[in-house]
Amino acid sequence: MQNIPDETIMEKVKGGNLSEMSILFERYHLKLFNFFFRMGLGRDISQDMTQNLFYRMIRYRHTYKEGACVKSWIYQIARNLHNDYRNREKKTGDLFVSSGILPSDVAETTDSYDEDDYGKLEMALFTLSDAQRELIVLSRYQGLKYEEISPLVNQSVPAIKVAIYRAIRQLRSVYFKQT
Amino acid sequence: MKCEELEEKIIDYLDGKLDKESNIEIEKHLETCERCLDEFRDLQEVIKIISNRKEIEPDDSLRINFYHMLHNEIKRSKSSGTAGVQREILPWYNHIFFRIAAGFALLITGTLIGLLIHSGFTDSHQAQLEELRSEVTTLKKAAMFTMLKEESSSYRIKALDYADDINTPDENVIGILVKTLNTDKNVNVRMAAAYALAKYADQQPVCDSLVRSLSLQSDPILQVTLINILVERREKSAVKPIQEIIADENTLDDVKYVAENSIKYLL
Repeated sequence: MQNIPDETIMEKVKGGNLSEMSILFERYHLKLFNFFFRMGLGRDISQDMTQNLFYRMIRYRHTYKEGACVKSWIYQIARNLHNDYRNREKKTGDLFVSSGILPSDVAETTDSYDEDDYGKLEMALFTLSDAQRELIVLSRYQGLKYEEISPLVNQSVPAIKVAIYRAIRQLRSVYFKQT
Repeated sequence: MKCEELEEKIIDYLDGKLDKESNIEIEKHLETCERCLDEFRDLQEVIKIISNRKEIEPDDSLRINFYHMLHNEIKRSKSSGTAGVQREILPWYNHIFFRIAAGFALLITGTLIGLLIHSGFTDSHQAQLEELRSEVTTLKKAAMFTMLKEESSSYRIKALDYADDINTPDENVIGILVKTLNTDKNVNVRMAAAYALAKYADQQPVCDSLVRSLSLQSDPILQVTLINILVERREKSAVKPIQEIIADENTLDDVKYVAENSIKYLL
């Protein structure tokens, strides 16, 4: 009973056994909350987004294709939610939020370990384009393999590698300029 | 090796994803090219900082809201009958909802007629209304007890909705809710009972029975639901059964994780 694959659980959910969704929630909510948070959505909105994501999984459970990788599906929904949010934001023209950087968030992410380094890197992360930041977040913070990211962003693995290399180089130049 | 070639491979090199030969090639290049070595050191530092990054914990409200949402969705899916379970189709007048609704309608009309007849006596209006209210509560209680005996789990969940409307439940109501929580064969019904009881958890006996129920439940979702309810109430006596859940080798890893966090919170 210890390590049931995500796919088996999702098939049970699709079959009407909704309570199984709690297992997927326990497996993924921390990662997903951190995905939204690292994409710069702030604490409250990141929590709402995480909640929305699980709501969508339940509501659209019938669209889950049996055997398809649940993790990819989850990240696909996460990206859609994030993009929807950014689009709404552009329409409403909320300047403060759309700058991406909320000073309080940056402060919060700089906890115990070597505060200065983290704070600086966190700031540098927000100088990247949304697409670049997403690649860094997915590959470095979320620990997704290039092969897992590739279908999500619709780019080849070599293209992703180059993009990540460029993003890390840019982080480096911003990071060491601040020193 | 040229500098451009190194650029292509340097991230994989830092991640330790290359084969031995490529590693040696890169190291050779770094020994001879100062510019690349500088860049290499910078990138190494950036990657080190990123990978040491700790994850941020969301508030407890995220988990609590998720379980409330899940509970509502389960109720919704049961009541719309999408679970693929064939329902017994009864003639409409035989349908339990109609029977109960008819009961309400009769009671209310009766009382209203009574009110009209006695319309001269304003003082008694209040008393009549009070009586009406208490009779409605009695009827709801009766409906709840009857419907909990139904074979269909969606009826039993509906029955527990009535429990929500009973503001001051007596021992009988609490008793049947606890019994449902501990013995109902359907996990969704047991969960609805847990939520119904959570409303009265400020009464010590109710709270105690939730704590006792924790040792009886083996279903992951109920374990988590009960733990959350008791943590929300800062119920210290829950620590022991939660520790037993952690120690139990049959407990799901995900539940253990919730349990361990909740202990930290309670102690």
